[in-house]
Amino acid sequence: MSKKRTGVFVCHCGTNIAATVDVARVAKEMADESTVAFTQEYVYMCSEPGQESVVQAIKDNKLDSVVVTCCSPNLHEKTFRDNAQRAGINNFTCEIANIREQCSWVHADKAKGTEKAIKISRSVVRRVNHNKPMDAIAVPVTKRAMIIGGGVAGIQAALDIGNAGIEVILVEKQATIGGRMLQLSETFPTLDCSQCVLSPKMVEVKRHPKVKLMTYSEVQEVSGSVGSFQVKILKKPTFVDPDKCKICDHCTEVCPVVVPNEYELGLTARRAIYIPYAQAIPASFTLDEDACLGLNPVRCGKCKDVCEAGAINYDMRPQTVTEDVGAIVVATGFDLYDQANMPEMGGGKVEDVLDGLQFERLCSASGATQGHIMRPSDHKVPKDVVFIQCVGSRDPAKHCAYCSKICCMYTAKHARLYKKHVPEGRAYVFYIDIRSGGKGYEEFVQRTMEDDDTLYLRGRVSKLYRKDGKVRVLGTDTLTGQNVEIDADMVVLALAMVPSKGTVEIAKTLKIGRDKDGFLAEAHPKLRPVESVTGGIYLAGAAQAPKDIPETVAQAGAAASKVIALLSQTTLSRSPLIAKVRRSHCTGCGMCVDACPFIAIRLEGGKAVVNEALCEGCGSCSATCLRAAIDVKNVTQLQIHEMIEACLA
Amino acid sequence: MINLQDIRDTARDMLAKGEVRTVIGYRRGTRGMLAEPAFITDPAQADDLVWNPTCFHNLSLYLVEDRKFLAHLRQNPGAPIGIVAKGCDARSIVVLMQEHYFKREDVYIIGVSCEGTGVVDERKLAPHLNGFQASDAVFDGDDFVFTTAQGEKRLPAREVMADRCLECRIPFPKEHNLVFGEDKTGRQLAEPFAALKRFEAQEGGDRWNFWSHHFDRCIRCFACRSVCPMCYCDECVVDSITFPVTSETSAEEKANRIRWIERSATRSENITYLMTRAMHLAGRCTDCGECERACPVNVPIRLLNNKMEREAREKFGFEPGASIGGPSLVASFLDNDPGDFIR
Repeated sequence: MSKKRTGVFVCHCGTNIAATVDVARVAKEMADESTVAFTQEYVYMCSEPGQESVVQAIKDNKLDSVVVTCCSPNLHEKTFRDNAQRAGINNFTCEIANIREQCSWVHADKAKGTEKAIKISRSVVRRVNHNKPMDAIAVPVTKRAMIIGGGVAGIQAALDIGNAGIEVILVEKQATIGGRMLQLSETFPTLDCSQCVLSPKMVEVKRHPKVKLMTYSEVQEVSGSVGSFQVKILKKPTFVDPDKCKICDHCTEVCPVVVPNEYELGLTARRAIYIPYAQAIPASFTLDEDACLGLNPVRCGKCKDVCEAGAINYDMRPQTVTEDVGAIVVATGFDLYDQANMPEMGGGKVEDVLDGLQFERLCSASGATQGHIMRPSDHKVPKDVVFIQCVGSRDPAKHCAYCSKICCMYTAKHARLYKKHVPEGRAYVFYIDIRSGGKGYEEFVQRTMEDDDTLYLRGRVSKLYRKDGKVRVLGTDTLTGQNVEIDADMVVLALAMVPSKGTVEIAKTLKIGRDKDGFLAEAHPKLRPVESVTGGIYLAGAAQAPKDIPETVAQAGAAASKVIALLSQTTLSRSPLIAKVRRSHCTGCGMCVDACPFIAIRLEGGKAVVNEALCEGCGSCSATCLRAAIDVKNVTQLQIHEMIEACLA
Repeated sequence: MINLQDIRDTARDMLAKGEVRTVIGYRRGTRGMLAEPAFITDPAQADDLVWNPTCFHNLSLYLVEDRKFLAHLRQNPGAPIGIVAKGCDARSIVVLMQEHYFKREDVYIIGVSCEGTGVVDERKLAPHLNGFQASDAVFDGDDFVFTTAQGEKRLPAREVMADRCLECRIPFPKEHNLVFGEDKTGRQLAEPFAALKRFEAQEGGDRWNFWSHHFDRCIRCFACRSVCPMCYCDECVVDSITFPVTSETSAEEKANRIRWIERSATRSENITYLMTRAMHLAGRCTDCGECERACPVNVPIRLLNNKMEREAREKFGFEPGASIGGPSLVASFLDNDPGDFIR
């Protein structure tokens, strides 16, 4: 093998690098490396002239590999690899030495910083000596998408993708699509009826020729990678044939089992056979297997007897279906922070203390009270209602550190809805401060304060408890410095938004990361806000962060457009930097098989074998292998060894 | 108490019926009281088998050797191998099966419980024998009885037992086809990791001096590696001399073989060797203590392995050799794995 001709291009990044690193010296030191044929420094290597000079230098000096010492490879690796290709050499012979994020930005001493930059650069030069030219792997794209979660985010994404002519599978865990938005009464700041806005979209998605709806279904397993995922979906039995069901309600009249209605957040009860809402889609009853006396005509069978349409079938069984899709949108939504974590707010045990969603159901025309606000304990109209904001939010010491973003707005809305229903009532709002950034939001809050005479008290509630048929709320008004005691008929807690239970599970199934608060992590907080870290998996809605409906819909649209862009390609090129087994060293212990997060390795004839279509080149296998029998291409043991040696020299 | 005749009868019967092709056990050695590994293939030889306090060898090593030998001959195993296994040995066998080295049906484990005792540490025994060599050693309840030229010498087992046996938490082969002796799991002869705790109680400087001393003395004879059933790799990553060249080895691999360690037995290279070995045994070492016993210059190798074992146990709730099916320590990731060491 003839000696490499490497070019080293040192970037100043303005003063970002040059202020802490003597770039001229880095270039000079690199020139002393035996394989380096050309060095150059430039103030902004990523600028147009900078890039051109790289291309020209490769051509002029007959370079066969390139090291650019600049910022993180996350930013400009692609830029310079493209340049290498433009100059006629293989793009995988170009590597980045990160002397900005990993050196100049984190150090102040120029002499030491320069030393480190030299070591980083030298290690990459040595690594590049062993880089192999490689071609990207082309993988075919499955032109179908799957959306997990049938709330407003999922529905919007499904419609947008479907409208682009791409087949979509919308998977929803519950018996109806609609999600949290379907539970809301009116929406801020326009106070239009939530169900009225959402139900046309639900109908549209149901009728859409490109959308396949799978309700009462759960994603169990996902394998494959961007462009070709294989998804196992469990279809839970509803025991009712949606095509035959006429929604006549006769079954619920005879069903003897009464359980709390989760769709009404426990404010009312439902039967074992039920329909979540009148607007439910699919418009069909569902038989709750856990609540039912036993799906057995001998034990009960009343619903089946009374069903004239013959829609009820006790013999339905769970089904697992496998679907091939090219992209996945995760829109699994939020739950409210558990009241049990808040003993000072009654811990969920004090009567007439509701959470925000329960209050939505109380206000909703489709709710248990047909929109009449009355308190659950004695069905009286509450005359004093205390709304408490930031319950569980903005409390890094004990609860959630983050702001749940929508509570200021929906509390203001709750106060207005309450005053509309009970004009003579008094509404109190405890707040820390009001965050009403958004179109028309501040005006909405102002109207709540001024037009509706809602008393806003700046301070927190220390305790609440039941006393004399009322809820005594002890708090502070920090503006007057006075302690406040209110005997309230009802208290509404604006609990923090947390990622839904389903979000936590699906993150594990899809192996996508979550942030410190448990929400799904985006690939880049600013530039890739709807992508997950795993290629081909996109995020939408409150599963990614607390957000309101307009933001959710916007994000769903953005995720959809990403999916459409991805699936409009016929093949995808995958990085060829994947694992490779050295069969002579492999003992077949199978540790790499267990360690591989992508299920890309299997044992065959006592040796590990890598599935090239699934391997992402993460290197977990290489780190686990005790025998150095598995390497990632272009990041081999030898290269790492040389890099360590270069650093220690 | 284990009746030795039971072990012999079992071995004889199984060999006679062809249920096993060999029984790996212990027989009387040629030097004094010491037992040595025995490979019994003829039922008539079954009476050679012994079981006494000098049966320290971890015989699972020979299962590895057998597998390598068969691979070399390109033969299938055929009938299983019978093996006499103590608690720690049986755990080693489990780890080997966990790593797919052989299948469960390839081994017939004749378990022997260490009951209230364990194996003897010759270095601890020597001062008790007034310079005489013991010609025989037997278990007797919680005592060992040694025969020397001066007559019989009865010693409480805990005074002359190997540290690893004193600290052993499970002196019983949980994985077995057949087992002799009582399960005395939970006996508390010494605090687990007692030696490690004593060591860690020292000042940082003293600890470094301690290890510098031992790392200087290591002659890199690789006895610890040879005696270890877990060190079964054909090529050891710390070796730069035994590079296996097979028909699959490419020219480039030959040219680019990596020398992580130089051959010289100097402190820095010895540190790299012993540390690498400790890391590679993390979650795999079952503390059979053979490495330390085999060391000709008395490097306290167990301390290194114990440290890794305790980390695995305390941080990840992992017990090497607890079950065949589970994933290995370094290959498994759980959401609740501690991450506080990453800064």
